[in-house]
Amino acid sequence: MALTHVQSVSQPSTLNEAWNEKASRGAAARFLGGGIDVVLFTPPSVDTLIDLSGLDLSGIADEDAGIEIGAMATMTDVMRSPLIGAYAGGFLERTLRQVASPLQRNLGTLGGTIASAHPWSDVIPALQVLDAELRLYAGESRSVSINEYLGDRAACCEAIIEAVILPSASKDRVSVYRFFTRTAFDISLLNVAVSARIEAGSWKDVRVSIGGRPGLAARQPAIEVQLEGAKPDDLDIDAVARSAADQVELRDDVRATADYRRELVAVLLKECLAELGGGGDGE
Amino acid sequence: MNLTLTMNGATKTFEAAPGETLLELLRREGYVGVKSGCGTGDCGACAVLMDGRAVNSCLLLAVRADGTSITTVEGLAQDGGLHPLQQAFLDAGAVQCGYCTPGMLMSAMDLLLRNPSPSVEEINEAISGNLCRCTGYVKQVEAIQQAAERMRSGGHE
Repeated sequence: MALTHVQSVSQPSTLNEAWNEKASRGAAARFLGGGIDVVLFTPPSVDTLIDLSGLDLSGIADEDAGIEIGAMATMTDVMRSPLIGAYAGGFLERTLRQVASPLQRNLGTLGGTIASAHPWSDVIPALQVLDAELRLYAGESRSVSINEYLGDRAACCEAIIEAVILPSASKDRVSVYRFFTRTAFDISLLNVAVSARIEAGSWKDVRVSIGGRPGLAARQPAIEVQLEGAKPDDLDIDAVARSAADQVELRDDVRATADYRRELVAVLLKECLAELGGGGDGE
Repeated sequence: MNLTLTMNGATKTFEAAPGETLLELLRREGYVGVKSGCGTGDCGACAVLMDGRAVNSCLLLAVRADGTSITTVEGLAQDGGLHPLQQAFLDAGAVQCGYCTPGMLMSAMDLLLRNPSPSVEEINEAISGNLCRCTGYVKQVEAIQQAAERMRSGGHE
């Protein structure tokens, strides 16, 4: 059997009930979202699963703050939502289409992929450049940025992700996602997401996130500063991408060397900048 | 734990262990058309339809399927005759060793239920989670195109 150590699955009907059970059981309990990560990566110390499917957390709605995506919405639900298709030029829909396979996207939830916080996540860099917020529940609801959530796992990982909020302020941004895998179906060796506003022919409020370094995806402030205010037509994107790659913190692991990853950063970042309209000597 | 599933159109109750996957439950209960392949969601041999959507049953805890409608390859044929999709796979020569076929049929059904006239690109996308080491996929894509045409012209769904 897949999880012989799991002795019970509770099915709470309220957020408070679910959170109280997690608080009382600690590391012996784990939340169950879509379940992919639970089936593949649950440690033997976990004997209880807390099923979140009865909490009505799968809606997608246009709210004042932005588009609110219930954490239990599957990747397919998100991809097929007209609201998501119309947001940021369909960037999230295009990104999710490249995640895993349709079979997995029909199971995996947006909240689950964030909570799993894998370094190879395709979803996290995309949400980071959209400046997504999360609504968490830990006895009461509060909102945090996705960067805050990922940066403070100790404080955040016990909370239930209720919803992901795509802010209204990001709805008109232009955004691109690129990744590289050894085979078509492998996890990302490295991935890059870039997003900007176009203002008077220049890139403004540029956001860059790189995942699979091999650490958890993170915004890259040094690269963002380098690109801020650039006029895409005048940019030597090859030189910019090469220079930017030297500023990224990269490491060796079993999947690739830091040098190989640096080459990938340069190539993928250049592709992102080209798609955002960047040209010049590098093209 | 007791689960109630609408299994290939019939309501059934099953006893499942808390940590058991739907794949394990179905094969134990005799639905052996659902194949066990990689066990990690990579090959698609275990695909079933859950409420009309194809999913990897190896990655789905059985408890999460409670109350849903599950279709396996055993549920495709009706009235003693093959489903047009199954017949098209035979006619197009899309089956060699056959191990991937049940899962491939489920992914194709997911597509055809929501898109009666899929393009080749859409078919490729729909079966991208189903690995086949025999056919090279060409015959399977042709079979799904044939099935779509037959279903549009009156074959059953």
